[in-house]
Amino acid sequence: MVDRSHIVKSYEQELGQLRSMVSQMGGIVENQVALALSAIADQNEEAASSATQQDPEVDALERDVEALAIRLLALRSPMASDLREIVATLKITGDLERIGDYASSIARRSLRIRSTSEQITLTGLRSMGRLVQDNLRRSIDAITQQDSSRAMEVWHSDRAVDEYYTALFRELVTYMMEDPRNIRPCTELLFIAKNLERIGDHATNIAERVFYAVTGENLPAVRPRGGIASTENLTDSTDR
Amino acid sequence: MKPHGLSLALSSGDPLWLGIALFAPATAVGWGVAFSALRRLRYARKRLSEQQDSAVVDHSVEPPELPIDGFPGAVLLLDTLGALLQANQEAVSQFGDSIGAILRHPAARGALSAALRAEALVQDGAPPVCSTTFTLDVPIKRTMFVALRRIPGAKRLNDRILVLLTDRSEAHALDRMRIDFVAHASHELRTPLASLSGFIDALRNGGASTDEAVRQQFLDVMAQQSARMKRLIDRLLYLSRVQAHEHQKPQNVVEVSDLMALVLDEVAPRFEGEGYALKFDIEDDLFIHADEDELVQVMLNLIENALRYGKHDDKILTVTLMARRAVEQDDRWPTEGGVVLSVKDDGRGMEAHHLPRLAERFYRVVDAGQAGRTQGSGLGLSIVRHIIDRHQGRMHMASAPNQGTSCLVWLPPLVGDAVVERVPGPSLSVSSDEAALTEV
Repeated sequence: MVDRSHIVKSYEQELGQLRSMVSQMGGIVENQVALALSAIADQNEEAASSATQQDPEVDALERDVEALAIRLLALRSPMASDLREIVATLKITGDLERIGDYASSIARRSLRIRSTSEQITLTGLRSMGRLVQDNLRRSIDAITQQDSSRAMEVWHSDRAVDEYYTALFRELVTYMMEDPRNIRPCTELLFIAKNLERIGDHATNIAERVFYAVTGENLPAVRPRGGIASTENLTDSTDR
Repeated sequence: MKPHGLSLALSSGDPLWLGIALFAPATAVGWGVAFSALRRLRYARKRLSEQQDSAVVDHSVEPPELPIDGFPGAVLLLDTLGALLQANQEAVSQFGDSIGAILRHPAARGALSAALRAEALVQDGAPPVCSTTFTLDVPIKRTMFVALRRIPGAKRLNDRILVLLTDRSEAHALDRMRIDFVAHASHELRTPLASLSGFIDALRNGGASTDEAVRQQFLDVMAQQSARMKRLIDRLLYLSRVQAHEHQKPQNVVEVSDLMALVLDEVAPRFEGEGYALKFDIEDDLFIHADEDELVQVMLNLIENALRYGKHDDKILTVTLMARRAVEQDDRWPTEGGVVLSVKDDGRGMEAHHLPRLAERFYRVVDAGQAGRTQGSGLGLSIVRHIIDRHQGRMHMASAPNQGTSCLVWLPPLVGDAVVERVPGPSLSVSSDEAALTEV
């Protein structure tokens, strides 16, 4: 938790506090995703439960950040890049909170795929997970360093995440057609893959917002997309 | 009176003091008034400066940068909110891309707030060190040890946090290896055991109906498998024996040519068959501190590996043994002098990426051409490495596919008062004109 032993008074200090809270929130969310992925890879129950246990903390931080941001807007009337940063922060915390939710959803599902038959390989899921983790790391680095070029990197590499997702989707459908007993674990894996893909999207959103906060300009509305749109219709069911 | 006031002003170096001292009234009453006015003024100024300090953040009165750049280790400096102020060269080169992810990891944040709360200890006057260990997945998987300490500033807000980052991935990998070892050892034993118990069942159920030839065949396989298990267990026991006295340096002085004579006696039968050739080039008068039996084991293991993994199906495999003084200024070895023993073959070689892992237990180089060949115990090089460690030597391996493999063992020179006992009698006479040997 944030150390509040000192009373923060100045504008600069409050802004620093806001940044610190966002970075703390980013750290927790990153950790949640890492735990969720290790829950799948090693069937680690402990990791799964500690991933879900961090949800309330993220929610509390989201509220704190919001309160502080509104306070800053109301009392300090920030201008220019400060104003953009604070507004972007308000949205970024929303994205981070959603990422945390997806991570704990993955963690919960990870324990249900235990009966996975030998032939289903998790290699694809693992490399997709790594890529998403790396994108998330870079987008949070972009927030804390207010670095628009980092944000651009993330924005461009989301395409690879989409491609992984499409490939995984095909692979899992094949498993299900081969043997109906695979349907249960494969459905769970499909949802996990979808959640990972959504985490990647939120990381990209964060990158877009950082880009806006730093440069004052918006990235193009259409972002580079990988994969085939038709699978989107089949799988775009929200799982919350 | 006046000189006293003046000296006070000069020593305090405060212009306010100076002004009052200069215009000080001559009487004692006047001094009293002047002092109380002064006290009030100073109080007001203090209040003002406090207000200013809290309003305009302390960036104006920030302490000078700490000279962390020369520190031998990865060091960071944070402010009280955990924002990065400074990172030394070492930290940037070692952790560059991961610093952000390290600092915001929940474990690191927890240690940070503990470090901020921690009060100075009475004994040494500095706040205690708070530390934590955690693992990061991206950008590269590494285990981090992070130690933080608060450096008290003039005010709480000016405190700095000194962070020391250490990569503990290696220690973590060692733990992992230990776990792997138990898993592998049991797996290695289980394979022959499974085939043994399979044949036992077959013999038992088949009973008398199994004809004699088949029965004999079963028994042969069983004998083979139990021999394999015995060999594996012997190797494991030998390995643990070697490890047990790894920290006692060998004291005996051994002449290398005597040692090689033992080795050659042992391996000569292996080279009698078609397709194998042995060359050797052994210098005289080389003395080392060694446990003779152990070094014979080293050479036998290396030769065994060359024979087992080097053989092309259609080519003669030539194994070359060498023993010579280390070349001057060879930077592969830690000190000047010493002796280099080498085993070199011109066989199939292997990809360079196998080399770092060869000495791991049960690591075997597997490729398509090798399936079905007799498998080794996977412990040979592990044993070699431990023995060489005990002799404070070094091992260097080089290999490339179809270029053969060379394995060099360096042993340190004799130290000071070691008595060299020449063993009378003819030592192994060696003709080095046998082959034009290239320095490996």
